Amino acid sequence: MKEAKKKKKKSETSIGVSRNGSISTVGVLSVYLINGLFLAVGFWVARNRFLVDLVSDPSLTLFLLWSIEFPVVVIIYSFLRKDPEKCSCSKAVGRSILGLISGAFMNALGAIALGAPIGAQYLPKTIHWSLLMSVFTFVPATVVFGASLTDWHRVFASMKPSGNIEHMILVPAYGAIIGGWFGAWPMPLDWERPWQEWPICVCYGAIGGYIVGQIVSLCLMLFLRKHKSLKVA
Amino acid sequence: METHPKRINRWIPLAFLLIHSVAILIFTRGFLLTRTELPFHSTCSDASLSPCLSPNPPIHHSYSNQNQPKCWTKPVVDRVVIIVLDALRIDFLAPSAFFPEAKPWMDKLTVLQNLAFGNESSAKIFKAFADPPTTSLQRLKGLTTGGLPTFVDVGNSFGAPAIVEDNFINQLVLNGKRLVMMGDDTWTQLFPNQFHKSYPFPSFNVKDLDTVDNGCIEHLFPTLYKDDWDVLIAHFLGVDHAGHIFGVDSMPMINKLEQYNTVLERVVDILESQAGPGGVHENTMLIVMGDHGQTLNGDHGGGTAEEVETTMFAMSTKKHTTSVPPEFDTSSCKQDPDGKQMCISSIEQLDFAATLSALLGISFPFGSIGHVNPELYALGSSSLNLDNTKQPAVKEWMKSYVNVLCVNAWQVKRYIDVYSNSSVVGFSSDDMSRISNLYSAAEHNWSNSVKHILMYNDGNEDSTNTSALKAQIAAYLKFFSSVAELARSKWTEFNLSLMITGFGILVISLILQSLAIVHGDNKPYGVSSGLSTGAAFTLFIVLIRACSFLSNSYILEEGKVANFLLATTGLIKLRYSVMRKTMRKEAFVFLAMVSVLRVSIDIGLTKQAATSQFMSSSPTWMLGLAPDHPALTYAIEIAPILSVAALICVLYVAIARTHSEGIWKYVTVGSMLSYFLIALLWASESKIFGFDGLLQVIGGRNIIPQTVYVIGLVQLFLLASAHMFCSGKDKNWGSRTVALVSACSSPVILLSGKQGSMLALAYLLAGYCIMRLEGVERRTKSDGQNKFSKLDSVCVVQWSLLSVCMFFASGHWCAFDGLRYGAAFVGFDEFVLIRQAILLTIETFGFSIILSVFGLPLLIPSHGEKRHQLFQMYMLYGVISATTVTATILCVTIHRRHLMVWGLFAPKFVFDVVGLILTDVLICLASAFYL
Repeated sequence: MKEAKKKKKKSETSIGVSRNGSISTVGVLSVYLINGLFLAVGFWVARNRFLVDLVSDPSLTLFLLWSIEFPVVVIIYSFLRKDPEKCSCSKAVGRSILGLISGAFMNALGAIALGAPIGAQYLPKTIHWSLLMSVFTFVPATVVFGASLTDWHRVFASMKPSGNIEHMILVPAYGAIIGGWFGAWPMPLDWERPWQEWPICVCYGAIGGYIVGQIVSLCLMLFLRKHKSLKVA
Repeated sequence: METHPKRINRWIPLAFLLIHSVAILIFTRGFLLTRTELPFHSTCSDASLSPCLSPNPPIHHSYSNQNQPKCWTKPVVDRVVIIVLDALRIDFLAPSAFFPEAKPWMDKLTVLQNLAFGNESSAKIFKAFADPPTTSLQRLKGLTTGGLPTFVDVGNSFGAPAIVEDNFINQLVLNGKRLVMMGDDTWTQLFPNQFHKSYPFPSFNVKDLDTVDNGCIEHLFPTLYKDDWDVLIAHFLGVDHAGHIFGVDSMPMINKLEQYNTVLERVVDILESQAGPGGVHENTMLIVMGDHGQTLNGDHGGGTAEEVETTMFAMSTKKHTTSVPPEFDTSSCKQDPDGKQMCISSIEQLDFAATLSALLGISFPFGSIGHVNPELYALGSSSLNLDNTKQPAVKEWMKSYVNVLCVNAWQVKRYIDVYSNSSVVGFSSDDMSRISNLYSAAEHNWSNSVKHILMYNDGNEDSTNTSALKAQIAAYLKFFSSVAELARSKWTEFNLSLMITGFGILVISLILQSLAIVHGDNKPYGVSSGLSTGAAFTLFIVLIRACSFLSNSYILEEGKVANFLLATTGLIKLRYSVMRKTMRKEAFVFLAMVSVLRVSIDIGLTKQAATSQFMSSSPTWMLGLAPDHPALTYAIEIAPILSVAALICVLYVAIARTHSEGIWKYVTVGSMLSYFLIALLWASESKIFGFDGLLQVIGGRNIIPQTVYVIGLVQLFLLASAHMFCSGKDKNWGSRTVALVSACSSPVILLSGKQGSMLALAYLLAGYCIMRLEGVERRTKSDGQNKFSKLDSVCVVQWSLLSVCMFFASGHWCAFDGLRYGAAFVGFDEFVLIRQAILLTIETFGFSIILSVFGLPLLIPSHGEKRHQLFQMYMLYGVISATTVTATILCVTIHRRHLMVWGLFAPKFVFDVVGLILTDVLICLASAFYL
């Protein structure tokens, strides 16, 4: 884990983030690649070190996934945080943990309203799933925006992101939620496959949606930049 | 402007009601095949009415058991052992030479093959054709009644599957035969009292391959040695279950077949060891049969060749060879690898009841339309010519067979005549006259010539006699085949053109209804902005829900699907409310109510899973508390009463707020009184309040419910008369809606039982949130003149989804065992069909349709001039209901040969159709009342 953190710092410096919340498209791409890489690392660790996967032991796998992904996300996005002068690194970490928990709570409530099974044997799965969802959706935003309600409101509710960072927070987060929503569709089917259990296919859906969201946001950034440069021209 | 649309508006819902009724009627005629069950039973004495020879004619001299009383035909076997192997495909038993290529599961039942193709063969393998629906229950019913069971056998008591029609088992009992049954407990459900002894084992758990079979084996062998039974039925389930779980091409299936082979080998050994003169099995017939086939995946229920082709093995313990004249021989032969001739014959399962009745010499079941199969009958008829050596065996057999066929034809004709006269939907007169002609031709020939040949056969054996007999048999067989063809066309074939016509009419009505909405939208306000976001979202949700009906899984979990979509709309609304910074509390409360409903739906689903054959019960939620924990008991007793109290408060606030005057106010006060009575009733029913004595004081527990009904009726009467005499005065429908909904709600809550009040409260809260959130996504965007002018389709969709959720949350599901028959007797002890049916309808559709249609105006904040918008909302609500029904109908049309068509799709269809008609009727009433 420490190794990973070191690597992260190195790569961060090489990306070269310009001050106060703007990042080049290449930077975004590399952030996404790192995110994806550590998601893959999470799966690899689960499969090879613990000999489990999402189907055989969803709770443990989800735990590994979010606990590997969470520090990565916190570290990457803390370089992109708004007004870094005011907000120290440790404070950013502290509020990211708060964001992780509250985001997980929101995700769990949403899932239960949508019909996620409730019951003692599903509780750990639901908790780990919502923590992972929180890493995808809430944590980057908490790290970057902090408790700034206006930013939250502008980006998430009004969907009026400005700049690459807000795009890269917003689009994958919505992608993960919509992907998870679609991922729930096969659950009632009578194919009797183990992956139809809660929350496995919802996880796949959310991860898929997250990746699609990343791709879409990249395209969006390229398109917007072109558009802007055209306008300027 | 305002009066003209008003007049038209009232007629439009009526027109759609008519269109929907016509469409559904046409579709139902094509889809729901109905057959009337006749309550008549055959008796032995009936046969004297037939033109045939009595089974005990003086010309037959020699019988082995002269003094035994005879019935319709002369018994030819004494005992029958029927071993049913569920889902026995034809290629499990027939030799692999009959099939293009040998598969691993073939040639496993070698003991039966050796018997059938051995030299001293008194055994035969048949290819048996089942009729769809090929599910065990329907097939057992078909096998024993000799008829063609359909989905709606009119006269069948809902719920209890016991066969009320005359059947083979019943005839056995009437004729003093003793029956022993072991294996699948479906038999004891169908025949609860008929068995002398029974060893039923649960067939419920598909994953259990062995319990039923081991139970069968355990009881089968000891019973075979005993002589206290005449007919033994052993029903093995392993092959069916192995097919369902593992498929045909699997090791468990092959193991099962090999196990059966050893079991059957032992059975045959026991029978043969006892088959000597004086042994218990001197004249026994062994029948090993499947009730239906299965596909390679193990599915069955439909009408494909794999599913309908099953097999039957029959063996008589008497060694003899009776060959059937080649005209009536249906066997097809193949050479085995050694060059030996192997033949298998064919038989219809329809003929099973008649053939076995003839073999055992009992009267045929009244409703049997099959005929005695010549080859199976020949297998048993060894005793006929046992000591009658002067005639060729074939000849003697033919004489006996033609007389059996005569009785059989008379019985079938009698059934067809009686059915045609007494059923709801009889046969057409063309068909009847064709059948009558065939019968009378055969009958004429019989009376004029053949009867004499049989009666005076004093040795003048010539070929004309033989050919006359053959001609007579052929005439009878022609009659039987045309009866069977008619019955199949009537009872097993869907009329696709009628179904498509009905579906087409529904689609057209949908288009018309949508046009009515769009048209109405543009006329008064002139706002047309293309497809708005809300409308697109509405369309999306409705279409998802409609498409979900194409899969059986989504139909099974329809409540969850509706809840999922409702929660999705709630989340979208939440997003908008956060964005607009208004109504956030309402959005959260709405989601909370949706969560409450989903828990309730989950509980309903577990109830459904307990009875459904398609769902595995999975306890998705568990409370930490034990079910009999005292705190929980108190909560269960007190919560409903508290909710009733809350409802009373709500009504009080509603009266106080809206300044309603006159009649509306008194009606609402009446509802408060009803609520109070309901609370009193529940309090007195539970023990913790100490009101136990109250019921005795006021004279029985029926008084309060009846009072509530009377109050409800008086309220409705008042409302109707008030509307008639002072219409137009009060344009504000807020108070009217409150009055009407509250008047309807009290019986609904009463009938729904204790959960009713809590659900009503949840419903009220959710509805209030929908109302508050109405138009939240555009409230600030266009704050101008047409703020409320445009129809908010999302809130109508939410209301409609909420009503669907309420249906499932109140513990219903779309199956007949989901009806709560107990509700029909709240307040009444004795059964009056119409009254109890009305109560059951109110209970079933109370929350989901009655309250939701009447409560729709509550969604518009009361602005008196929104008459047109209300009309549009009703139209939209109607379109949403009609869309789901159209989707159901499309699904039923596509899946009409599906495994679950009778178990799942057809009940769903019935519920949806009834719901749609009721919705249309109520929309008519509501638009007459409000507009």
